[in-house]
Amino acid sequence: MWDFIVERREQIAYNTFQHFNLVVQAVLVATLIAVVLAVLVVGAPRLQGVANAISAIGLTIPSFALVGLLLPVFSIGAFTAFLAVAFYAVLPVLRNAVVGLQQVDPTLVESARGMGMSRLAVLWRIRLPLAWPVILAGVRISMQMSMGVAAIAAYVRGPGLGDYIFRGLASIGGANAVNYALVGTLGVVVVALIADALLLLLGRVTVPRGIRA
Amino acid sequence: MSDTVANVDPAPDAADAPGAPKKSGRRLDGETVLMLVVPPVLVLLTFAGYVVWRQTADLTGAELEQLAWPLVVDLIQRHVSLTLVSSALVVLIAVPLGIGLTRGPLRRISPLVVGVANAGQGAPSIGLIVLLAIWLGYGFWTAVISLTLYGILPVLRNTVTGLQGVDPTLVEAGRGLGMSSAAVLLRVELPLALPVIMAGVRTALVLVVGTATLATFINGGGLGAIIQTGISLFLPSLIVAGAVLVALLALLIEWLGRVLELVARPKGV
Repeated sequence: MWDFIVERREQIAYNTFQHFNLVVQAVLVATLIAVVLAVLVVGAPRLQGVANAISAIGLTIPSFALVGLLLPVFSIGAFTAFLAVAFYAVLPVLRNAVVGLQQVDPTLVESARGMGMSRLAVLWRIRLPLAWPVILAGVRISMQMSMGVAAIAAYVRGPGLGDYIFRGLASIGGANAVNYALVGTLGVVVVALIADALLLLLGRVTVPRGIRA
Repeated sequence: MSDTVANVDPAPDAADAPGAPKKSGRRLDGETVLMLVVPPVLVLLTFAGYVVWRQTADLTGAELEQLAWPLVVDLIQRHVSLTLVSSALVVLIAVPLGIGLTRGPLRRISPLVVGVANAGQGAPSIGLIVLLAIWLGYGFWTAVISLTLYGILPVLRNTVTGLQGVDPTLVEAGRGLGMSSAAVLLRVELPLALPVIMAGVRTALVLVVGTATLATFINGGGLGAIIQTGISLFLPSLIVAGAVLVALLALLIEWLGRVLELVARPKGV
C-alpha cells in the first residue's frame, strides 16, 4: 500500500487536487445560483413551496441516473461531471437559503428601509449577512454530497479520485485492485474533511461578529 | 401520560385547521400536500410517456434486448428488493443502536459514535461498494451490505436526536406513574421520537434507492444495469430510458417514505 502511494504520489496528488477543484468550482457556482433563486423566491410563499418541492424531488434522482441523462447531450468528460455535481449542489443551499432569508426579523428589514436604505442595500447589508450562517450550513452539506457525486461522475471520464475507484473495480482479482479502490475512497474522505474544515474557517471569517454563536 | 400529551397537542392541531390564523403551520401543510400529490402524478405521467415511447420508437437489436419488458420488470424487482431489504436491515440495526446510545453509560460515547458515522458518510458510496466487493465478492448480498452500511447514519442520528429531544419531565411523569423504564421507552419516548426517526428512515430510503443504482457494477442487479449497458455501448436511448426508470422508482420510494411518515405519526404528536 505504502509503496503503491509513493510510486504514484505525483499522479495521486494531481487527481486529489482535480477532485477538490471540480467540487469547489461546482459548489461555488451552485451557491451563487441557489442564493439568487432563494432571493427571488422568498417573497412569495407559494413559490417557496415549489422551490422546496423541486429541491426534495431533485435530491431523489440518483446521481448515476443524472449523469446518464446528461451524457447524450454533453458527451463524455469533465463538463458533464461539473454539471452533475453542480445540479445536486444547488439543492441543499437553496433550501437553507430560503429558510435563512425567511428567518430574518422583518422589523430589522423595516428599520433599515426606514433609515433610507434601498431594497438592494437591505438585501446586501442586512438580509444576506443575517442569513449567511444558515446558507453556509447548506454549503457544507452540498460540499460533502458533491464529493460522492464527483466520484461517480468519474465513470464518464470526469476528473478526480473516482477514477481510482473504477480502476480498482476493473482490476478486481489483480494485485492493485485494493490499492486503487482504497486510495480513491480514502482520498475522497480526506478531501471532504479538508474542504469541510476550510468552510468552517470561512464561517469564522465571514459570519458577522454580531451574530456569531 | 396520555393526558400530558393531550394537553400539549391542541396548539399544532389548531394551526393546521383550515382558516387558522397561524401562517407557518399552513405553509408547511401546503408543502406536505404538494409533496404527497405531485410525485405520484409526475411518476404516472412520465411512465405513461415512457410506455408510449417504448412501444412506438424504432429500436435496434441491443436496445430491444435491454428494454424487453420481462427484463425491465425483473430489474425493477431486483432494485426494489435491494432497497427494501437494505432499508429493513438499516432500521433493525440503527434504531436499537440509537436507543442504546441514549441509555445508561453508553450515553457518553454517543457524540463520538455519531461523529465517526458522520465522517464515514463522507466516503463515496461507489468506493464502499467496490471495496466490499473486493473483500466479499460480487453479488446481491454484497450490495445489500454496502447499502445497509450507507443508510445507517441518517436513522441512527435521527433516533439519537429524537430520543434526546423528548421532554425529560414526560419521562419522569411516566416513571412517577409506576411505568418501568422499558414501558416508558416503548410508550412514551419512542412514540414521541417517532416523527424524527421516520424522517431519518425516509432519508435512508432515498439514499439507498439511489445508491442501489450502483449495485450493477458488482452484479447486484437493479436498474443501473440499463444505464451501464447504455454507456458502454454508447446508446443514448438506453441511457436515458434507464435513467428515467431509476428516477421514477426513486421518486416513488421517496413518496412511500412520506406516506409512511404520515401514517406512523402517533396522534397528538
